[in-house]
Amino acid sequence: METERDGSELWVEWLGRVPYREALELQAKRVEALRAGSGPECLLLLEHPPVLTLGRSGDASHVREPGAALEAAGIELHRVSRGGDVTYHGPGQLVGYLILDLSRRGEPDVGRFLRAIEASLIEALGQLGLPAHTRAGRTGVFAGRLLGEPLLGEPRPFAASPAELPRKIASIGVGLRGWVTWHGFALNVTTDLAAFGAIVPCGLHDVAMTSLAAELGAKAPADLDACAREAVGAAFSRRFGASCA
Amino acid sequence: MPREIKMPKLSDTMEEGTLNVWRKREGERIQKGDVLLEVETDKADMEFEAYMSGTLEKILVQAGVTVPVGTPIAIVRLESDSDADLQAFLASREVAAGGAPATAAPAVAMGRAAPAAVRPAVSAPGPAPLAPVAASAPPLAAPIFSSAPLPPSAAKLPFFLPDPNRVRATPRARLLAQERGVDLSEIAGSGPDGAVLVPDVERYLEALETQAEPLLHGDVAVTPVAQRIADELHIDLSRVKGTGPGGRITKRDLRDHLEREARGGSARELALFGDEVKLSQKRKFLIRNMVESKRTAPHFYLSMEVDAEPLGALRERLKAEGKRITYTHMIVKACALALEGMPEANATYREDRILRFSRINIGVAVDVQDELVAPVLKSCQGRDLEDLALALDALIAKARERKLTPGDYSDGTFTVSNLGMFGVDRFYAILTPPQSMVLSVGALRSEPVADGDRVRVGRRISFGLGVDHRVLDGVKAAQFLAEVKRLLEAPEVLLARSAAHGD
Repeated sequence: METERDGSELWVEWLGRVPYREALELQAKRVEALRAGSGPECLLLLEHPPVLTLGRSGDASHVREPGAALEAAGIELHRVSRGGDVTYHGPGQLVGYLILDLSRRGEPDVGRFLRAIEASLIEALGQLGLPAHTRAGRTGVFAGRLLGEPLLGEPRPFAASPAELPRKIASIGVGLRGWVTWHGFALNVTTDLAAFGAIVPCGLHDVAMTSLAAELGAKAPADLDACAREAVGAAFSRRFGASCA
Repeated sequence: MPREIKMPKLSDTMEEGTLNVWRKREGERIQKGDVLLEVETDKADMEFEAYMSGTLEKILVQAGVTVPVGTPIAIVRLESDSDADLQAFLASREVAAGGAPATAAPAVAMGRAAPAAVRPAVSAPGPAPLAPVAASAPPLAAPIFSSAPLPPSAAKLPFFLPDPNRVRATPRARLLAQERGVDLSEIAGSGPDGAVLVPDVERYLEALETQAEPLLHGDVAVTPVAQRIADELHIDLSRVKGTGPGGRITKRDLRDHLEREARGGSARELALFGDEVKLSQKRKFLIRNMVESKRTAPHFYLSMEVDAEPLGALRERLKAEGKRITYTHMIVKACALALEGMPEANATYREDRILRFSRINIGVAVDVQDELVAPVLKSCQGRDLEDLALALDALIAKARERKLTPGDYSDGTFTVSNLGMFGVDRFYAILTPPQSMVLSVGALRSEPVADGDRVRVGRRISFGLGVDHRVLDGVKAAQFLAEVKRLLEAPEVLLARSAAHGD
């Protein structure tokens, strides 16, 4: 386990592959510690074994595969107490859980927090050689430059062909206990994108999932996973570390 | 005093939140720090914790419901509250919610002539727990309003009614005040430059708690500072809505009230407007789209009459064969065929280019219980009439059951709207971006038509076509409409099976 700690910087940890439940418990512990003043703010970086998580507003019909098929493929299905719809996590996907106290950063504002997560991810992706963008009304990060904005600048579900669908590379969803955050983001680095075929990600029918490896193609370095960890850790540390002094 | 819990504002950009789940039941005891409920907004969930101990007396907003920020969602009864306190509180809420007619009567009693007994002691420094408030009282000098009870103008609100957003306070204190519905401007800060600190807010809340307050029915709850100002300015408190702790009227409420009055809207406007209708997200989206469409897409309109007799005859024939085909089915099929033959019309304008759609997806506007939806029939190219009819019927049934998913109404490339069944002869619908054409179908009419030298009764339908001039010129659009007309007047072509379809 690598651990970084440097003055005012954010505590970033790489935990390797952690089962979903276990990560949930770990987060709860960290949240309690931070609230009790006995633990630091931190970014937990890890990846999960294959798992589908269904949020409270999750529509079971957005899981396209029957339960038996999922089981056969070694994919667990968890119903979790968070907002949002269904999400897939698995190897090659860099998951980041942010345990932060928003009230330490001026007036706490969840919207601003979500935008800051997006900005950090875009920054990290930029360093890895992939331009990325956000879309109004759709929390998350999408690959590529936003050239042909939909006519109205609205999140209009519109695409003439699948090739034109927005390509989502990172999903975001946070929880708050008081103003202390948990959960965070999931960035597809070398994720097997076929796994998303089993679901309608986030209930969005008009989005294609992509990964850093798929976007970079031959330009991807051999140790892409490690590079991504580093870039993401650094970007979040810069954005969230300094202000908690 | 019982407390109201309100939908918290988790973000500047948050306008409403969904109450996800109640973690406590009505009547259940709660401890400060217990998670009461979970709120969801965008991609964030918050576990909302009790900031007081007591009993969850009443749940006002049930799980699964979305309400605007600031909406009261529950009432908590504190340990110190007697039954009488609770009754009085509930009664005062009713008064506040009752609106104009209900408050009209008590208004007299609650103006400046209100009996001193029902008002919390204010000007008299008597019960001193309000120390932080009292400290801020002196600036209430008389000169400004010595003249007369003038209604102040918006530009010149009394200086002691500061914009609460401008009051200096630490973020935590501001947050606490926001959570508890406290008007910061009522609190004298003990921090640098008079900034309000958390202990100041806590002291103030404590003071309010112990404030002697015989809340009788018909009385209004008001903070001492607000009461004093209301007295000085002769403000009729019955017309002010309280948003402070326990529904108390605060300085901020007076400020808002005066601003409204000064805008001149107040009395006359209230008389002019009746109920307010909240708009659904879908409706708001539709409105934005329509406004944007009218503003950015230069519409022009064509109209053409179609002889509907052959169409009627064909329909009857198919009916006899046991096939349920409607005019709408045939019109959609004709549009699909016309678009197939004219790909330049199945296109959109985007940033100085024209993009042609690769598929023909026809939206059909349907009214479902006063809500306009336009489910989209995907990939109409090469599909035969019966296939289209079945698919469209299924979509419309789904719409009526309100089971459409976003995928069902997205990606349209052309829209058909029909108001014929409502007796409309001819109309022109607004384009749905990014589409460039919308066909408006009028009523099927019987009317005299010239048939050689004689006049007979014919059947006619008027078609209106709305077109985005950036994509199509008049001639092209006219050709398109003429093609639709030709197909409908010789409708046997609609039955032809397309080679592309396979079987």
